[in-house]
Amino acid sequence: MAENARRDEIPPGTLYMLILKMLARHGQLHGYEIASAIQEVSDDVLQVEEGSLYPALQRMLLKGWVTAEWGVTAGNRRARYYRPTAAGRKQLMAEVDQYRRVNGAIHKILQIAGR
Amino acid sequence: MNWIREFWRQLRYRLWGARFDEDLAEEMRLHVDLRAADRQADGMAPDAARAAARRQFGNAAQIQERSRDAWGWTHLDSWRQDVRYGLRTLAANPGFTATAVLSLALGIGANTAIFSILNAVLLRSLPVEDPQRLVQLRIGAEGDDELTNPIWEQVRDRQQAFSGALAYAADRFDLADGGESRYAAGLWVSGDFFRVLGVPAIDGRVFTRDEDRRGTAPLAVISYSFWKRNFNGDAGAIGKTVRLNRHAFEIVGVTPPWFRGLDRDFGFDVAIPIACEPIFHPGHSSLDERASWWLRILGRMLPEESIEQARDRMRAIAPEIFRATLPQDFTTEMQSHYLQNSFFLKPAATGFSEMGAQYRTALYTLMAIVGVVLLIACGNIANLLLARATARQREFSVRMAIGAGRARVVRQLMTESLLLAAFGTGAGLLLASWGSRLLIRLLSTTRHPLDIDLSLDPRVLASTVGAAILTAVLFGLAPALRATRVELNQVMKENARTALRASGRFNPGKALVAGQVALSLVLLVAAGLFLGTLRNLRAVDPGFTRHNILIVMADMEQAAVPVPQRANTYREILGRLRALPGVAGAASSLLTPISPEGWAQMVRPEGFASKSPRDTLLFLNRISPGYFATLRTPLLLGRDFNDSDGINAPQAMIVNESAARQFFGAASPIGKTIGMDAMGGGKADVCQIIGVAKDTKYNRINEKERRIGYLADGQDAEPGPHIRFTLRSDVPVETLIPAARAAIAGVNRGISLEFRNLESQVSESLLLPRTVALLSSIFGALALLLAMVGLYGITSYAVTRRKGEIAIRMALGAARASVVRLMLRDVVVLLAIGIAAGLAASLAAGRLVTSLLFGVRPGAPLQLAGAVLILAAATIVAAYVPARRAARLDPMAALREE
Repeated sequence: MAENARRDEIPPGTLYMLILKMLARHGQLHGYEIASAIQEVSDDVLQVEEGSLYPALQRMLLKGWVTAEWGVTAGNRRARYYRPTAAGRKQLMAEVDQYRRVNGAIHKILQIAGR
Repeated sequence: MNWIREFWRQLRYRLWGARFDEDLAEEMRLHVDLRAADRQADGMAPDAARAAARRQFGNAAQIQERSRDAWGWTHLDSWRQDVRYGLRTLAANPGFTATAVLSLALGIGANTAIFSILNAVLLRSLPVEDPQRLVQLRIGAEGDDELTNPIWEQVRDRQQAFSGALAYAADRFDLADGGESRYAAGLWVSGDFFRVLGVPAIDGRVFTRDEDRRGTAPLAVISYSFWKRNFNGDAGAIGKTVRLNRHAFEIVGVTPPWFRGLDRDFGFDVAIPIACEPIFHPGHSSLDERASWWLRILGRMLPEESIEQARDRMRAIAPEIFRATLPQDFTTEMQSHYLQNSFFLKPAATGFSEMGAQYRTALYTLMAIVGVVLLIACGNIANLLLARATARQREFSVRMAIGAGRARVVRQLMTESLLLAAFGTGAGLLLASWGSRLLIRLLSTTRHPLDIDLSLDPRVLASTVGAAILTAVLFGLAPALRATRVELNQVMKENARTALRASGRFNPGKALVAGQVALSLVLLVAAGLFLGTLRNLRAVDPGFTRHNILIVMADMEQAAVPVPQRANTYREILGRLRALPGVAGAASSLLTPISPEGWAQMVRPEGFASKSPRDTLLFLNRISPGYFATLRTPLLLGRDFNDSDGINAPQAMIVNESAARQFFGAASPIGKTIGMDAMGGGKADVCQIIGVAKDTKYNRINEKERRIGYLADGQDAEPGPHIRFTLRSDVPVETLIPAARAAIAGVNRGISLEFRNLESQVSESLLLPRTVALLSSIFGALALLLAMVGLYGITSYAVTRRKGEIAIRMALGAARASVVRLMLRDVVVLLAIGIAAGLAASLAAGRLVTSLLFGVRPGAPLQLAGAVLILAAATIVAAYVPARRAARLDPMAALREE
C-alpha cells in the first residue's frame, strides 16, 4: 500500500473539470484513457477513484457537456469515446475560473497565516 | 429551460438507449482489462494483476447503479409504475371511473363549447398583421359604427393619424341572374384594404389603391373557400369573371384560407372595390351621399403611438372633415349638430360581431352557468375520491407500513386523479367540438346564417387543460392528504369498518354536498326564469296572425323597370298573386313585422304639444289595401285604404291604438291630421287620419307598444325598388312558392326574390331566449342529477359507516320508519343549509340577467318556491333509496359481522 500513500485523492467537485480538461486537450478519449491521462499528467500524484469516473461521465452526458460515440481501440476492442461539446468547453472555462479564484483566495490566506 | 433539455435527453436516451446497462458493463470491463494488462506489463502475475485492477476500480455493481441514478430514471420508472397502477385501479372500479369521467366530460365539454364561441366572437384577435394596432374610427362616444363614403374619402386623403387606413362594408351579392336569389357573402373594400391588414393573395394579386377610384373596372378578389367551392381551387380562376347582382366582375386574386374578413359571424366570398358601387345603383349611388352611413373605417396606428395620440390627431382634422362633408339637405339645426361631432377610436383587434354584441350577456350568462355545472361536477368527483380514499385507507396503511413514503402514496393518488382528468378532458373536448357546432346551428337563421370559425386555438385548449389540471389537483390533493394522515398502527389494528370513521366533526364531504345543493338551486332558479321568459314571449299577442303567411321579398333593383312604372308593376304582381289557387288574401307593403328593418320619423300631430322630440317619434310602414285583412289585424275605427287613396287624393294615414292614444288622448283621431317631412327631405306632407288599427309588434316580440302610422302605397310618388308581398293561404305556405315565383316571373323575369314564412321569422326572432331557456334547463337538470348523485353517495356512505349502530337500534326495537328518519335527518340539515345559501346566491345572480328576462322578476317568491320544491323532492328521493336500504338491514346478520 506504499504506492497508494504517495497518491492523493482528487479534491471533491473537481472531477468534472479534470475530465473536461483532458477531453479538451485530447479531443476524444475513452474511460480508461481519461483515468490514465489524469494520472500521467499529474505525474501520478492525483488518482481518480477509477469507478467513480463512470457515474460522472453519465451525469455529464445528461447535462450535455460531452457526447459519446462507440469506436474501436488500438487493441481492436469496442470502446465508448467521449468528446466535449460547446457547452462542455464553456463549463470548463467557468470551472477553471472558479477554481483559480477559490485557490487564489486560499493561497492568500495561507500566506498570511504562514507569516 | 435547462431542465427541459435535460428531460428531453433523458427521454431520448431512455427510448433509444435500451442497451444502457450492457453498454456500461462493456465499458467498465474494458477499463478493468486494460488496467490489468498494464499491471501485467509492469511485471505482475496475471491473476494478481486482475485482482488489483478490480480493487482499483471499485464496486462495479454499485457504480453501475450510481450511473443509472445519474439519469434520474428511477423517477421515470416509478412514474410509469404509478400510471400503470392507476389505470389498473380505475379499470377495477368501472362504476366510479365512468361516473367521474362522465361528470368531468360534461362539465369540461360544456365549458369548452361555450368558451370557444365566446372566444371566437368576443375575445380572439383577428388573424391579420399586428391586430393590436388596428382601431376603428367612430363618431361620438358610443357612436355610429358606420360612416359615410365622403367622410372616408376625406380620411383616406388626409392620412396623418395612421400608417394606413381602410374602409369596408359587408353586403350580400346575388349570384343568380334573376328569379330566386343565391347570395354570396360580399365585402365592399377600399383599395388599401388587404395591404393595410397585411393579407397577401395566395394566387393572383389583391387590389391596388388606384383600383378603388371612381369609374374603376369591375374587379373582384375572392376568398379561399369560395375559390374551392366554385372553381375547385383551380389556378385558372384568375381572369375569369363572377357575376354579382347581374354584373360581371373579373377575378384578380384569391385570399389565404385563414382570412375570413373582419366580421366574426360569417366569412366572405367576394370582395369588390367601394368605387364599384355605382354599377349596382346607377343614378342613385351612395358614393357622394353625405347621409348614407354604410362604411366601417379602420386605421392602423403609427408605430410607437398610443390610441390617445392617434385620436388627438384625428380630432385636430375633424372640423375640416365635417365641414367638407356637411349634408346640404339637413336642416340648420341638424347641420350644426353634425358639425359638432367628434371622432373616437375604438380598438378593433377582435373584429366585429353582431352576435357578440347582441348575445354578449347571454354568452357570459351561459358561461357562468356551465362554470357552475363544472363546479358541481368537481364537487362530485371530490366526494367520490374522498369516499374512495377513506375506503382504501387500509391499503394505504399497509403500503406505508412496508415502507412507502407519504409523498409516494400521495403521488400515486394524484396520478389517479390526473388520469381521471385526462380522460375527462379528452371526452370533454370531443363533446365540445360537437356541442359548439350544434349551438351555432341552433342560433343560425336563414336571414343571418352564422358561419363562425370555431377551430380550437391555444387559448381554448389552454383554458380547458388548465381547468382539468386544476380540478385534478384541487379535488385529488385534499382526499390524498387526508387519507395518508393516519395513525398507522391504529388503522392496522382496527378492522376495515371501524377504520372508516371520519375523524373530527367537520366533514368535507358534507360541505361539498351542501355546496352542490346551493349551486344546483341557483341553476334551477335560472332555468325557471328563462323558461318563464320564453313562455311569456310565446304568449305575447303580436297583433297579427303568424300562421300560414308567406312573405315574398322582391327586389327590382336589377330589373329593367323604370321608376314611374314600378307602382303599376307592383299592382300587377299583387293581382296575379291574389288569383293564385290557395291564396286567401294578399297585400303588399314596404316592411313586414318582426324583421330588423324599420322606418321612423318625428311627426307633428294636430294639437299635440310634445315635451320632448322623442314623444313625436312615429314608426311607419307603407301598405296596400287589404294588408290588415291579410294579417288579420283588426281595424278598430274608420276604414282601410282603398283604390280611391290615389296619388291625387288627400294624403291618408291609419294609426295604431298607441299612436292615437298618445297624440289625441281619448278623442277620436279620425279626421285629425299629422304633419311630417317627406322621406329624405323635400316638401312636407300633411296626412289625414282615416282609421285606427290594433297595436302590432314592429321589430321585436318583446318590444313595448310602439306608435305606428301606415301610409297608402297608392300615394307613394316614387316607389322604391324593394317591396314585400304578404300572402295568407289555406294550404301549407311552402307549396305556394313555385306558383308565386312563376306568377312574378310572368310579370318580369328580372326581379330577384326571396321567400319567408312569417311563422318561422317570428320564431327565429325568439331564438336567443329559446336557446338560453333550452340550455339553462339542460344544465339545470344536469346539475340536479349531479347533486342527486352526490347526496346518494354521501347517504350510502353514512349507511355503511353506521351499519353497526343501526343494527343495535333495530335489535333494541327501533321501527324501520325511525331508522329511515334517522338517516334522513342529516340529509335534511344539509339540504336546509344548501337551500339557504342557494336562495341568497340566486337573488344576487338574478339581478345580473335582467336584460335577458321578459315578464318575469328575479326573486319572485312563487318561482323560488317551485325551484326549492323540485330540488328538495329530487334530493330527498336520492337520499331515501340508501336510507331505506338501512331500514331493510337484518340486524342479526349485521351484528354477527361486527
